[in-house]
Amino acid sequence: MRKRSWLLVGLAVLGAAIGAVAFTAQTPAPAQGVVYSVWLVESSRFMGVPFGAFMPDRAFVPGSTNPMNNINTVDLPVNVGVIKGANELILYDSGWKQQDYFKMTGTEHGAPLTEQLKTLGIAPGDVKKIVIGHGHWDHAGQLMDFPNAVLYVQREELRGIEWALNYPNPKIAAVNTSPGGCARTPACGYPPKTLDEIYGKVLSGKAVIVDGEMEIAPGVKIHPAHRAHTAGSQLLEVPTAIGKLVFGSDAYSSWEGIRDWMIANPQQTDTVQQFLAYEKCYKITGGYQNCVAAHEPLSYTEKYPLTKNSWVGLNGSRMAEISLAPGEKSKKP
Amino acid sequence: MPTGADPHPALGEAATRGADLYAPGYRTARRPPGVKVVTFGLVLSALLGVLALAAVREVASPARQAAARPALVPPRPPLTVAEEEYALALWPIHNEVKAGALKMTLGGMSYKIGELDRAGLKARIEKSEETYREAARRIAQLTPPPSLVPVHEMYRDAVRLYQRSAVEMALVIGDGRDEHLVVAQPFSMEASEKLLKVGDVLWPNEYKPN
Repeated sequence: MRKRSWLLVGLAVLGAAIGAVAFTAQTPAPAQGVVYSVWLVESSRFMGVPFGAFMPDRAFVPGSTNPMNNINTVDLPVNVGVIKGANELILYDSGWKQQDYFKMTGTEHGAPLTEQLKTLGIAPGDVKKIVIGHGHWDHAGQLMDFPNAVLYVQREELRGIEWALNYPNPKIAAVNTSPGGCARTPACGYPPKTLDEIYGKVLSGKAVIVDGEMEIAPGVKIHPAHRAHTAGSQLLEVPTAIGKLVFGSDAYSSWEGIRDWMIANPQQTDTVQQFLAYEKCYKITGGYQNCVAAHEPLSYTEKYPLTKNSWVGLNGSRMAEISLAPGEKSKKP
Repeated sequence: MPTGADPHPALGEAATRGADLYAPGYRTARRPPGVKVVTFGLVLSALLGVLALAAVREVASPARQAAARPALVPPRPPLTVAEEEYALALWPIHNEVKAGALKMTLGGMSYKIGELDRAGLKARIEKSEETYREAARRIAQLTPPPSLVPVHEMYRDAVRLYQRSAVEMALVIGDGRDEHLVVAQPFSMEASEKLLKVGDVLWPNEYKPN
């Protein structure tokens, strides 16, 4: 009897050891060379979005016990990446600013990005570069609030809007669809003000029109993901102390989608291209853990481990400290 | 009932009797605990500890705190019938204005990055100017309900600003000086903000999460 007990204890210890080794093996090896500090900032949160509208494969089925189909609505954060190097301060996406005149029904926890960055010790003038994953209003707003920042946008993104607006079929060219709203025609997501802000950067000589890949800082690389959400979607690879990260804006709307190979947030999305964008993250980072999603409902929780080191900031918006470069102090309160 | 008195004496008696019935078990329990029992106890304690820790962390998690929803902003009263009619009448005009503004801005951008020559820019601006003229004409024919007069005027202002921006942009065609585009852009920006302001009143669901 005693021997059997010791056998059980031995097996438990062995199991724990195997688990620890497996966990260590899954943790990406530290990147070689330059590494950056990275934070995630929640620009706002869209409340109560039907899950099926966000991820068709997760559509709610009343009475279902299948975890894939038993969630009715989800709250979607709008995530912005903050990337800091020795001489670099880069934003990936710039979110949007709720104003008295632009509230967006069903949105909560919005805060101006300049104010959110102040809590990380970053002044608007410190931001040197802004890479927009695509040009939709909730990802490419507030550009004029960062006067020193150079904007990086794919040429294909601008061409895609142009193409849509000039398409001969008015149903496809429509900037609005049903009375009072806009569904998913190709030009729907680009209010004139958003394009005016991009144009402002072009006019002030602070825009780089990108064709495909580009390294914008040591180790920080833009990868095209055309049609993975919009015509000119682009990803951003960032080396950090926990391995490489890949930011995906709405090409990576859902981290669970990347993990489970399910499409998310279909707008002007070619689903094959979205899957290829997912694959790009697997190839660059060695898995799905380090893929940074823009609207993942599990963001800032233990269930999306990369973002779990989080706290609540301005107006209930959340922030996460993803990785710190050597010498960088934590900004977590 | 005095404090400490058993409210269910019968149940208490049954429990006592039950204890007597299991008297042989007591004899077993008085023995020193075996390795198996100790191991089981340790494993059980560890599991309970993990559960307690998880529960504490879950409750204290900042994300969980954030998930607690604050009181929602009370919904705005719906538009009246007259307001709704005005919103519906302005909607198709708004679509044209928006498309015209986007095309003009993209035209300026394409010119600036060398993808559109001056002739192309001229054509683009002229087309947008035509759109704004037609929009102004149609808006002038609308009669807003008294509550929407400020909104109506704001929309007219927006169209005028776009027109002013177009006139300023067109100057680049004559002298090739990009400064005209720089002067023109803030007018367009201001007009675009006014469009959003009007939209917030008439079409609050114009833009969806995407």
